[in-house]
Amino acid sequence: MAVSPMITYEQQSDPSPSDTKQLPLRTTSVSSLQDAAIAATQQAQDFAERLNEETRSKYVKDKKLGEGTYAIVYLGHLSRDPSSLVAIKKIKINTEFRDGLSMDAIREVKYLQELSHPNIIALDAVFSSKNQNLNLVLEYLPLGDLEMLIRDTNGIQYGTAEVKAWMGMLGRAVWFCHENFVLHRDIKPNNLLIGADGEVKLADFGLARSFSDPYRPMTCQVITRWYRPPELLMGARFYSGAVDVWSVGMVFAELILRSPFVPGSTDVHQLEMICEGVGTPAETNWPGVTSLPGYVSFDKRSLGARDRNYFVSRFGTAGPIGVDLLMSMLALDPRKRCTARQVLEHKWWSVEPQPTDKQDLPKKGGGMEKMGEDLKRRGGEVDDSRSERVARKLDFGAR
Amino acid sequence: MSKAAQKHGGSSAPPGQDDDICPVCKSARYLNPNMRFLVNPTCYHKMCESCVDRIFSQGPAPCPVAGCGRTLRKQRFRRQTFEDLQIEREVDIRRRVSTIFNRREEEFLDLRNWNDYLENVETLTFNLLYNIEVPETEAKLAAYAAQNSDSISRNAALASAEHDSTEAAFAAQKQAARVRREESLREDEEDRQDRLREDREAQERIAQGSTAKVTLKKSTARRKDGAKGAASSGNAGPSAAPAFEIQGLKPVAAPEPTKAYDPFGGLRIRSEYFAQQRSCEHPWLDKAKNDPAIVTGGYDVREYCARAMVEAFAGMGVFVDDEVGTGGGQAAATERAAIAAGTDNRTEDVL
Ligand SMILES: Nc1ncnc2c1ncn2[C@@H]1O[C@H](COP(=O)(O)OP(=O)(O)OP(=O)(O)O)[C@@H](O)[C@H]1O
Ligand SMILES: [Zn+2]
Ligand SMILES: [Zn+2]
Repeated sequence: MAVSPMITYEQQSDPSPSDTKQLPLRTTSVSSLQDAAIAATQQAQDFAERLNEETRSKYVKDKKLGEGTYAIVYLGHLSRDPSSLVAIKKIKINTEFRDGLSMDAIREVKYLQELSHPNIIALDAVFSSKNQNLNLVLEYLPLGDLEMLIRDTNGIQYGTAEVKAWMGMLGRAVWFCHENFVLHRDIKPNNLLIGADGEVKLADFGLARSFSDPYRPMTCQVITRWYRPPELLMGARFYSGAVDVWSVGMVFAELILRSPFVPGSTDVHQLEMICEGVGTPAETNWPGVTSLPGYVSFDKRSLGARDRNYFVSRFGTAGPIGVDLLMSMLALDPRKRCTARQVLEHKWWSVEPQPTDKQDLPKKGGGMEKMGEDLKRRGGEVDDSRSERVARKLDFGAR
Repeated sequence: MSKAAQKHGGSSAPPGQDDDICPVCKSARYLNPNMRFLVNPTCYHKMCESCVDRIFSQGPAPCPVAGCGRTLRKQRFRRQTFEDLQIEREVDIRRRVSTIFNRREEEFLDLRNWNDYLENVETLTFNLLYNIEVPETEAKLAAYAAQNSDSISRNAALASAEHDSTEAAFAAQKQAARVRREESLREDEEDRQDRLREDREAQERIAQGSTAKVTLKKSTARRKDGAKGAASSGNAGPSAAPAFEIQGLKPVAAPEPTKAYDPFGGLRIRSEYFAQQRSCEHPWLDKAKNDPAIVTGGYDVREYCARAMVEAFAGMGVFVDDEVGTGGGQAAATERAAIAAGTDNRTEDVL
């Protein structure tokens, strides 16, 4: 992070020329100076090499944990302390890369280095291995991800208090990103990893970027489809943190439904499902929407936005105030969508039920005692001793 | 208080003959078999019911026992539970102490602390029982009660919830037993009816000289019935076997004195400051503020302004990203520099 700030208004107002002007200056330097520069470069290189070697030797790679599109994740530990575990993410070199490094990896390092927050996965170190592979040393999060919990409808029961706890942690993570002008652009249950203590951590910053400067378009091909907001589906190239808030709303809906809310199979289908599930974008509820590059008219189903009753009927378990929050996160017009800060300022957090303490949240398989308890409980119900049922009820009520 | 109590409370006459004569009016149970003795927990001097009526009906009055004279109220007189008044008094004191010192073992870090606590409470109780340093001890008790009123009422609620749940379990068990008894009576009755019917049918069949085939069919049906019966009684079986046991009555967990949930997790970031900066005027930004092509997707120039402010003031190195891929070499160089410390072996690229 030893980099000086380099943004000025003037440069930005005319970005491309000023950007390119600086490099040629260096390449046309006098040749005698060049020799000295090469020597200095050599020295710096040696130093960097040594630093890298030092970092690399601090960690030991153990077994493979999993594999994503652009990386393989290993379990590892500190050489001097085998009990202190880390996850080592080794970036595959064969994917989309640029000068030997994939953009995803660059983004991940860049933003994780900047963002230090309990609900954002920590990046401890970065080093390259012998064959020039980039390795990210990440906080080890052993309890899977939120998707596993949502899908395990047989093994895991949870209620509004748990949903609130998870949403609170997600909300903090996104708020913190946005406060630091970082868009995550890939929020989904599967990127919300769970630490040993039950803390949810936002991970996978491979698509993150900072808020763009004015007149600087961004790509709309980000965010996994089911969690992608309508403005991106319609090709908007200028957008804001509202895109992440939509994804957060979708995660909220999914936590309640225990299945994806609008699982489109293509981008067009995705928009159709949004029309049906959330409402149909129109000039009335979203001024200007018809001028978006990817706008398609949905006149056959011109419902406008879905009303409150509809949301209450589907998400009533969140309570009326929870439904309000969900609806404000899923506003079609990104300008009307609440911001990450407003999410955290919402009344829902202060009404009953209180969010469950993180250590009491349901855990995937690993929470053996919990599962044992559940089994015992179920066994208890089979022999119909009524007294047991009564006692159990009291026990629950007091929690 | 202490001296008098020591003299009187501390030395009650041996039970026996004393038991049958009212120390106040000297009338004897021998003459009046209905005579009942009452005590007042203020001094534990006992007297007969008619004395209490006579002396205290008009309002509080001094105890008539010689040398006592403490003011007693009628409504506090009650039947003695224990024959030995010394014990009666001790139980009362212990009851009072335990409603105030009602800490629970799970509240303590370890056994050692818990035992220490118990010992302290016992010392205090002992002092009250044997009238040692009574004013100091009473003061201690009152101070504790005042300082710990929250915990006291919480634990009291817990204890009463526990009591209730035990009661409920008892009641439920009784109820279950009753249901089972009725069930088995009904089954017996059904069985009896079945047997009667069968006998009747058999007789009829014999009378009609019916074939074996019919009998066979009937008996399968009967067997099925029997299996059903067995299954249902099997259901009641396991709970019927252990006659009396309350298991797993887990004490209700103390509701932690929770602090209000903070959605921000205790973090606050320069909120007020930027609320003021919400409108930021610069001709260069006008188009970005109003162009539908830019704002419809939600782009908000104020976010850029906020960022610019942070960068200007904090000098924070937020990197310029070049999302588009065609971006300038400078940004790319920065990115590489960011990881150079850890990774880069092509340092010349950075320069
Ligand atoms: N910090 C971590 N602690 C423990 N396990 C991890 C950690 N990070 C990743 N994993 C495991 O490694 C797997 C691969 O992670 P990775 O982020 O590379 O891919 P992904 O997110 O599953 O897929 P993609 O990158 O294609 O979206 C994950 O599914 C997860 O099981
Ligand atoms: Zn008398
Ligand atoms: Zn007296």
